[in-house]
Amino acid sequence: MAEFTCKLKQYRQIKGLTQEQLANQVGVRRETIMRLEKAQYNPSLKLAVDISRAVGVPIEEIFIFPE
Amino acid sequence: MKKKTKILVFSGITCFLLLLLSTWYAVVFNGSRLVAPMDFSSYTFQVQDLPMLFSLVLVCIYGAILLFTFIISAGRSRRKAEDTNTTRRLNPKLGLLGILGFLGFTGFWTHSVDGSVFPFVFFLFFGFFGFYYEGKMSGTFMDERFRENAARARLRASDITFRILFIALVILCQGKLLGNLEHAFIAGMIILSLALALRIFLSEYLLYRYDHDDLAEEE
Repeated sequence: MAEFTCKLKQYRQIKGLTQEQLANQVGVRRETIMRLEKAQYNPSLKLAVDISRAVGVPIEEIFIFPE
Repeated sequence: MKKKTKILVFSGITCFLLLLLSTWYAVVFNGSRLVAPMDFSSYTFQVQDLPMLFSLVLVCIYGAILLFTFIISAGRSRRKAEDTNTTRRLNPKLGLLGILGFLGFTGFWTHSVDGSVFPFVFFLFFGFFGFYYEGKMSGTFMDERFRENAARARLRASDITFRILFIALVILCQGKLLGNLEHAFIAGMIILSLALALRIFLSEYLLYRYDHDDLAEEE
């Protein structure tokens, strides 16, 4: 799996969303959000875009892949 | 218990009791006709055979109805899972059906009695132990991570199954293990049934592990 850093937790908390709420908004399970925040799951482009829209932050700021 | 299930269970018990009764009748009053192994090519009908024939037909009809109900129910369950995007509802206790796999051992008995080998296929039922893990994950929302894990679990299970089959076939094809073609075919049948059972079980077990613990991270 590609190594990356995920700042989802930080942006989700700024937006005032719980993992459950975010999961419901983007149509995944809470466990998936949990794995995403720990950078243990590489999401599809569709999910990444949905998350980016839900927290109102560009994808590249949430998921940071080293050059 | 649902009314339909109650009817099915009651019918099953009735069929079983009727079969037991007609077997007793055939053994005591009809010289064990249709009970003990016999040559059906020279069979001639006798009125005394009627109870046994009746209960055999009844058991066959019951079996057909049971199979039909199972297929309909499985199809309905699958459609519901697709519509709601959640896994089908299943009681983990159904995993106990895996015990039916031991029926495969009856193949050794039937083979020694009349040479039939089909009961060896019952080893396949060991795969039903996977219902335990499927039941534990019943009603789970199938998001993209779940589907990805499911596909990975199926692929891994198939991979392991094919490896086992390959190794077993290589050993069997040496012709030295059993020294008898018939026994080699029976061994092949047993290995195939067990390998497929393993595939059914592993698909569910690995999906559960991938979904619940850190196994996925280790790979």
